[in-house]
Amino acid sequence: MDQTKQEGEYGYDLFPERQARKYKKGSIAESLFTFNHKCQVMLQFAMETSPYAKLLLSAMTSSGCKALRDRHFSCEDCDGTVSGGFDAASSQIVLCQNNIHQQSHMNRVVTHELIHAFDHCRAHVDWFNNLRHLACSEIRAANLSGDCSFSNEVARLNFGLKQHHQECVRGRALRSILAVRKISREEAEKIVNEVFDTCFNDHTPFGRIPHSKKDAKFAYRDYENRDRYYANL
Amino acid sequence: MDRSAEISWRPPRACDNYWSEFRHCKSLWNHFHHYYTYGTSPSCQQWQEDYNNCREWEKHRDTEAKEALQRSERNRVAEQKKFTPVWKLRQDPPRDWHLPLNQEKPQDS
Repeated sequence: MDQTKQEGEYGYDLFPERQARKYKKGSIAESLFTFNHKCQVMLQFAMETSPYAKLLLSAMTSSGCKALRDRHFSCEDCDGTVSGGFDAASSQIVLCQNNIHQQSHMNRVVTHELIHAFDHCRAHVDWFNNLRHLACSEIRAANLSGDCSFSNEVARLNFGLKQHHQECVRGRALRSILAVRKISREEAEKIVNEVFDTCFNDHTPFGRIPHSKKDAKFAYRDYENRDRYYANL
Repeated sequence: MDRSAEISWRPPRACDNYWSEFRHCKSLWNHFHHYYTYGTSPSCQQWQEDYNNCREWEKHRDTEAKEALQRSERNRVAEQKKFTPVWKLRQDPPRDWHLPLNQEKPQDS
């Protein structure tokens, strides 16, 4: 496949280090001139303490895709304001070390990308050719990661209350698609609308929309007890 | 076979879990989040009923309570599965998930 065509068409141009790293991995230059170490520390903390991340990591292990920090996560410098991505070709979650500076943000990005990885693991998701699949995973990720919480929306100066969560999910899914595919806004909106109901109501593996840490803890508790649950239905 | 299943049955969740879900459902935060998501108030009655049935079973091994609880939980599971997925579920995880980096990998099917 033509490399430049692929870069432009699939959003790889937002992640220049996917093609060539600026500094050698583990080098002194990397630790002096990038936020790599801070990113690694925040990532470790997120994986160990965020109930959202812990649930997703368990679910992925159960599905046969154990996610290892060294293999499946990569802290890199990215273009623009993008916070992260999931690269299906290399089975890696990319975290934008130059754009993530707070632990809460890291927790959210890790959750968001793990949802993509989880979908990749449990279903035949055609990331490159099927826009409905892409839209569905983006809707789920915006819905379940806390991207669209009331406080996050207020911080973006998007003030809305009644059913605003759904508006936010639609909007963010749309933006995510437009960022990585060269299609018109109308086309993207049409695709999002087609799959919205199905994908908004798919809460796997949480079993609910986790609006808060408490929701996520309850979801994690349910997940850990799933054997007992299904055995006694 | 049936008899041993009867003896070894226990509620799908610990009774305390039903109670904590009920309390969580009734909380102000949850009302807020539910309104923010669905534009309506949440209905928490079912959690309370499930808790009561769970306790009935624990205390008196009441068959009606057991069946009501099972019905309620099966309903919850059905609610989660009401939609037709846009993608086909896998039987096995992706072949290249565990491959080391910098190796030629086939395009994922």
